[in-house]
Amino acid sequence: MFDGMLRLYDSFTSWLFQAAVQPTLYALGMMEWEDDAFAWMDFFVFGVVQVLVVYAVCRPLEAWRPVERWDDRRVVFTDVVYTLLARLGLLPLIAFILLSGVQAQFDGWMADLGWVAPTLETLVPALETRPLLAFALYVVILDFGEYWRHRLQHTIPWWWALHSIHHAQEKMTFWTDDRNHVIDDMIAALWFGGLALLIGVPPGQFPLIVIILRVMESLSHANVRLSFGRIGERLLVSPRFHRLHHGVLSAGEEGRNYAVLFPFWDMLFRTGDFRRDVFPRTGDPEASPALVQGGWWHQQVEGTRRFLAAFRRAG
Amino acid sequence: MRRLALALPLLAAGLFPAPGRADVVFVVNSLDPGIQVLDAATREELRQIPVLREPHHLTLSPAKDVLLVGDSGGNEILFLDPSTGEVRKRERISNPYHLEFSPDGKLLVVTGLRRDQVDIYAWDAATMGLELLGRVKPGDMPSHIAYRPDSKFVYVTLQGSRAIAAIDLETRQIAWSLRVGREPAGIIWHNGKLLVGIMGADHVAVVDPEARKLDRTIRVGRGAHALFPMPGGGPIYVTSRVDSRITALDPATLEPVRVYEVPGGPDCLSFDEQGRIWATLRWNRELGMLDPRTGEVTTSPVGRSPHGVLFRHRNLQASHEAPAVPVAR
Repeated sequence: MFDGMLRLYDSFTSWLFQAAVQPTLYALGMMEWEDDAFAWMDFFVFGVVQVLVVYAVCRPLEAWRPVERWDDRRVVFTDVVYTLLARLGLLPLIAFILLSGVQAQFDGWMADLGWVAPTLETLVPALETRPLLAFALYVVILDFGEYWRHRLQHTIPWWWALHSIHHAQEKMTFWTDDRNHVIDDMIAALWFGGLALLIGVPPGQFPLIVIILRVMESLSHANVRLSFGRIGERLLVSPRFHRLHHGVLSAGEEGRNYAVLFPFWDMLFRTGDFRRDVFPRTGDPEASPALVQGGWWHQQVEGTRRFLAAFRRAG
Repeated sequence: MRRLALALPLLAAGLFPAPGRADVVFVVNSLDPGIQVLDAATREELRQIPVLREPHHLTLSPAKDVLLVGDSGGNEILFLDPSTGEVRKRERISNPYHLEFSPDGKLLVVTGLRRDQVDIYAWDAATMGLELLGRVKPGDMPSHIAYRPDSKFVYVTLQGSRAIAAIDLETRQIAWSLRVGREPAGIIWHNGKLLVGIMGADHVAVVDPEARKLDRTIRVGRGAHALFPMPGGGPIYVTSRVDSRITALDPATLEPVRVYEVPGGPDCLSFDEQGRIWATLRWNRELGMLDPRTGEVTTSPVGRSPHGVLFRHRNLQASHEAPAVPVAR
C-alpha cells in the first residue's frame, strides 16, 4: 500500500513539475534553478499534504473527546489563517535557501584553504551505511535545539513578547501550533535551518524532519482529552503534556513542558510536569485583548509593539 | 528458508545474476541519494550503494578499472569497482559535480557547480590518488566539461554566466571565454568544434574554438541539455529536458536525423553493445532504454532524480567500446 501511495505521489509531482514548474522556469530564463526547484517542490506539496493529514488526524479527535466546547469559534479561524500561511513552508524554505547560499560560499572559501566542511556521517563513519539511524540522530539533535529555542522564548523578555501571541489563545486547537509572530517565525526558521546546516542535514531529508515535528506539534495542541499513558507520556509529547505548557499558570518564565517531540529533554533539565489527570484552561492572563481576540494583522502589530517595548526596556 | 537453500547453489553455479557476471547498469540517483547497480537484462537491483548527499555524475578511470562518482552535496568522490560496484575508496573532495579524465589520462578535472570552481587534479592510477594542482574560478555555475583531444585545454560551460570558458591546462589560467546562450549545460568536442547544449533555449550551439566564435545553432528541442556521441562514429544524441526528447544528429553534417519522444526529462545517456541507449529520466524516477532502430522506449523504476548512468558489459570494459549502430531514418 505504501509503495502504491509513493507511486501516486511521484506521478503527481512528476506531472506538476513537467506541466507547470519546468515550463515556467524555462519561460523566465531560470533553468539553472531547475534541479533545486524539483527538489524543493516536494516541500510545497508536502505542505498541502501536512495540512490535510493533520486535519484528518486531529479534527476527529477533537470532535471525539474535546477538553472544552465553544459556541463561538471565531478566534479559532484566526489560527487557521496562521496555519495556511506557515504550513506552505515559506519561511523555513527562504531561510534554508538563504543559508544554503551563504554556506556554499563559506564552504568554498574554506575549501580554498584546503578544508571541507564535515557532516554527521563523516564525523561518525558508521552512519555512512545506516541512513535511517543517521536520520533518527538528526531528528534527536534538531528536537534538542527546538527544546532550547522554546525555553529561551519564555526566558528572554523580548522573545517572550513575541511568543506570548502563541500563548494568548484561550481556545487552543491543533491550528494553534502555527499562531506565531512573523519575527518569531523567522528566528525559528533561522535557528532550525542553521542548526540543520551546521550538523549537515541532507537537504532531501530536511522537509521530512520538518513534517514529523510539525505533525506532532499540531497534535500536541489539539483540543482533546488525550494522554499517552504513564510510559508513553515520557516517550512522546502528548496533547495533555503540552496543554500543561499552555495552562494559565505556565506562561512566561513559569513555563513547564517545553519539549516538542521528546519529553526526555524536560526530564533531563527538570522542567517536566507529568500530572496525567490535569487539563487546565489555556491562555496568558496578562495578554491584551488584541492578542486574544484580534485577527492576524492586529496580533502582528500588537506583537511588534510589545517586542519593541521589551527591547527598549532591555536597552 | 527452503527458497534460500535452493538459491544458494544456483547462485554459486552462476545461474542467478550477480555483479561481475551480468551486464550491469550503474544509475546515480541524486535525490535519494545513492547508486543502484542493475542487471541490464532483468532490471533487477543487484546492489545499492548509499551516498552521503547529492551525487550527480560518474566517469571511468583511463584504464577503465575504477568508476568515480562525485557526491557534490557530500563533498566526496567514491571510487568503485566497475565490475561489482564495491566501494574501494572514498575521498574528501570539494563539491564534485561533473568530472572527466583528460584524454592523455593524466588529469581529472572536476567542476563545483555551487562553488563556482573548477579543480584540476593529477591522477595516480596506482594508488587511485588525486593531487589538487590548481583551482580556477571561471564564472557562475561551472557545469559540464570537454577536452581538446591533445589534453592542452579543457572547456567548461558556465550556466549562470551564459558562457563557456577555455582553461589552459598547462598554465591553469582562463585562456578565453565566449557567451553562447542561456544556461549552457552539456559540452563535447567533435571534429574540431565544440557542441554545447543550451538548456535555457531549444538548440545546440556550435562553437569554433580556434576562431573563438559561435558558428551556428541546431534546433533540437526546449531545454537542450547534454550530448553523447555513439561510439564508433555513430550519431550524436542530444537530450532535451523540457520537451522531453532525444534528438539524433548526423555526425558529419550535425543535422537532426531523428527525434525520439522520451517522457520524463531524459538527461544522461549510455550505450550498450547492441547500440541501445540507456537514459536517466530525471522527473519520472525511471531508467529508460531506447532502441534507436525502432524508437521503442521501455522503462523501469529507479531512485529519485536519476542523473549519471553507465552501461557496463560483462566482457567489454565499458559501454564506450560498443559498436556503432546506425539510426533508421
